[in-house]
Amino acid sequence: MKPASFDYYRAKSVDDAVSTLAESPFAKVLAGGQSLVPSMNFRLSTPSLLVDIGQLDELRSVAATPEGVTIGAAATQYAVESSAEAAAVVPGLRAALRWIGHRQIRNRGTVCGSLAHADPAAELPALAVATGATMELRGPNGTRTVAATDFFRGPFWTDLQAGEIITHVRFPAQAPNVTTRVNEIARRSGDFALVGVIASIGSSNGSVDTAVLSGFGLGATPVRLTAAEGVLHGKNTLDEPARMELYEAAYSDAGDPFEDVHASTEYRRESIASLVVRTATAIIDGSSEKGGRS
Amino acid sequence: MTDASKRGESEVRIKVTVNGTQENRRVPARLLLSDFIRDTVGLTGTHIGCEHGVCGACTIIVDGAAVRSCSLLAVQVDGSTIRTVEDLAGDGELTPMQKAFHENHAMQCGFCTAGFLMTLESVKNEDYSDHDDLLDLLSGNLCRCTGYQDILNAVTSVWETGTGPSS
Repeated sequence: MKPASFDYYRAKSVDDAVSTLAESPFAKVLAGGQSLVPSMNFRLSTPSLLVDIGQLDELRSVAATPEGVTIGAAATQYAVESSAEAAAVVPGLRAALRWIGHRQIRNRGTVCGSLAHADPAAELPALAVATGATMELRGPNGTRTVAATDFFRGPFWTDLQAGEIITHVRFPAQAPNVTTRVNEIARRSGDFALVGVIASIGSSNGSVDTAVLSGFGLGATPVRLTAAEGVLHGKNTLDEPARMELYEAAYSDAGDPFEDVHASTEYRRESIASLVVRTATAIIDGSSEKGGRS
Repeated sequence: MTDASKRGESEVRIKVTVNGTQENRRVPARLLLSDFIRDTVGLTGTHIGCEHGVCGACTIIVDGAAVRSCSLLAVQVDGSTIRTVEDLAGDGELTPMQKAFHENHAMQCGFCTAGFLMTLESVKNEDYSDHDDLLDLLSGNLCRCTGYQDILNAVTSVWETGTGPSS
């Protein structure tokens, strides 16, 4: 398996990349290439031109402040995962990143590249939706900011317009009383998830007042499991009846997930409902379970 | 498209250091790094399994970090320093990990071995004292002979760490 022929251009700046992209409708942006190159090996993707932004220093930053973490388009997943400062402000980042492929892939793959790729089974789009991240885009008409909830439009389809690139993504700081866990079911360690969930749950005075559940592998885009979130509000423990109620709610939130050779619609519904119960219980009742890769 | 093709090239000159030797080559833009290593430079110790980033057989070290050479283009690593499995015993002496693989028979057919060794080499100064972390690391390389237990034995015999509570 080898990529079809294409031309390669190493951008000298973000503006240079944008103007080059604007001139070629069949161009693709190359950052880490960890989704794009395999997809080109399969010839699922046959761009005429690759515009490489992976070596642009202006996009390499991982900046953590008390308000949040801003990640440039050339910053690798491992650079973010290994940043103690980023993990302190947005703990969900490290928790989600550790589920992505393997170390060798995260050494080259980028956070923004995964968001732009918008695989419905990927962790980072779901994290972006769960945390209220915003994408900074630059294109021929200047820069604009898009909220994650408006950014993901469908499978491998985002709000990015022709000639636009993500220059940065900004994840807001997590509230101090919130805990985030990531859990997923995959056929093998490091494979794409069949289903997965990002759970951010916080309590005040012993009962849950913040509950965000973002599911992936369920539909065209990350899915907020709002009925299940509603069940969690006000709970101070998840006893057997509460767990049953949570399971039923998450099951109905799942809707009609797609089915493929690995998992039926029903299997995905039951799996996400079980994952939600397991993950929420671990947070609320303080289980010491490590939660797989996290 | 005509305008854009003026800015891109189908062949690109790259300069890299491979196992201490400077390589200055003109390569097709679409050449995978794994094929550059094997066919252009002629180092066939790096193996190619799945060619889509799953099996880890093609793992090499680029600027200190383990990467899948099948999921990178050679042009992406222009200016980099590359190490392949041939560099491990470059002075004729096996590394402690290579010796441990030999002593523990941590291979059957050996196809995956170069990838395992390069993954392990890349993190040899990091903390893998947590047994689950070590298993997670090793899960990035597939051994289709299913010789994982001997591989695990080899690793834990070299690293004082990696012998967590459940092993």
